Amino acid sequence: MASPIKWRALTAGIAGVVGIVVLHWMVFFWVPTEATMGVIQRIFYIHVPAAWVAFMAFGVVALCSAIYLWLGDERLDMMAVSAAEGGMVFTTVVLLTGPLWGKIAWGTYWVWDPRLTLTLLLWFIYLGYFMVRAATESPERGKRFAAVVGIVGALDIPLIHLSVVWFRSLHPGPVVLKPEGPSLHPQMLATLLTGFGVFTVLFFSLMAYRFGLERARRAAAARAAGRLRPAGA
Amino acid sequence: MTYLRQVGIIVWKDLVVEVRTGERTLSMAGFTVLVGILFNYAVNQARVPIQDVAAALMWMTLVFAGMLGLGRTFQLEAEEGAFQGILLSPAPKDAVFLGKVVANFVLLAVVTLLLMAVFGLFFQLDYGQSPLGLLGVLGLGMLGFVSLGTLFAAVSTGTTMKETLLPILLFPLLVPMIYFGATATNALLDGRPVAEISGNLRMLGAFALVAVASGTTLFRFVVEE
Repeated sequence: MASPIKWRALTAGIAGVVGIVVLHWMVFFWVPTEATMGVIQRIFYIHVPAAWVAFMAFGVVALCSAIYLWLGDERLDMMAVSAAEGGMVFTTVVLLTGPLWGKIAWGTYWVWDPRLTLTLLLWFIYLGYFMVRAATESPERGKRFAAVVGIVGALDIPLIHLSVVWFRSLHPGPVVLKPEGPSLHPQMLATLLTGFGVFTVLFFSLMAYRFGLERARRAAAARAAGRLRPAGA
Repeated sequence: MTYLRQVGIIVWKDLVVEVRTGERTLSMAGFTVLVGILFNYAVNQARVPIQDVAAALMWMTLVFAGMLGLGRTFQLEAEEGAFQGILLSPAPKDAVFLGKVVANFVLLAVVTLLLMAVFGLFFQLDYGQSPLGLLGVLGLGMLGFVSLGTLFAAVSTGTTMKETLLPILLFPLLVPMIYFGATATNALLDGRPVAEISGNLRMLGAFALVAVASGTTLFRFVVEE
């Protein structure tokens, strides 16, 4: 099965793995230690890019789901489910690295910080997305239900974001995308941007692999169903 | 005109079924009163005056009571296979959805009024200056809640997990309603003027709008076969 998607996934996967190694080298040996928070701040270069990918993945899920409901193309559903699985992995990374950083920086593992809370809720929306799929007898119905969950989740996220922000914030403010330009040390900025790039590439390679797997799985299911049918049908 | 009539017929049918069986309203109403009694013993009133947490108790009670009723929105029809009949009728699917939402909203409005009366009595709450403001806050919140709840009740009824799936799907999305609703309720119970919570009302309105619009658009994908 030397399909173009497999080669693309392989290339992106290798680039992603090499990137992860480079990123960790930068994080541990190259970037200067932050003055106030100390060594623990280095987790930032994993935490923030993972959060970016988690939310981007959810955007991909919502977009693919919406077009799937509209056009009914099977491939869009496969893309949505592949992106959702990747997104759930990166959401988990955010939820694991955030409290570790928080324990040192804020003195406690969990605070009701907006972005941490939003990520936790996102994790649960992803959970619902997979549970709906798993709990339907007909796969077609599971696909439609999951798409609805993905779309409504994406529509509600801006409102959830507003509520958690108004609730209270301890989180460091934006350091890159703000009107007066990035306030990060150039080496820190370079490491962070490498993190964004590497995690994005890694996400799309995982998504492409997962897509190939999903396609193979559905093809196998279709073949199995065909074999069960009486001859000539 | 015919569209409104189709919505009206669904509302009427659901309400007639509810009036004759009383199933959902009675369970929600009983739940609300009983939870009020339990809260009286659960809250350590030597340390926290129950009026200080009343807003939180009201909203959480409404959400849980609502889950009881909403979870069964399609149960009766699913059991009897009657939902196929409704889908085969000339009414567009979004009219069916809106009818279900309005009927559920009426049921939950009854429960909300009961909740205000019972909690007011049990916990000596002072609705004083702005009972209408409070009704507005609760009404807007419930509208959003009922719309999302009806959509996801249709989803969960179609799964093997039935109503047990509903809270998993619904609760993460309710954060805006709970936050803006409960803070506004707190402010009003503290005797603040309605003008102070206009921001919350707008956010609750936005939540309700998103919920009704997405439910109306997406419902047909949930029920189509």
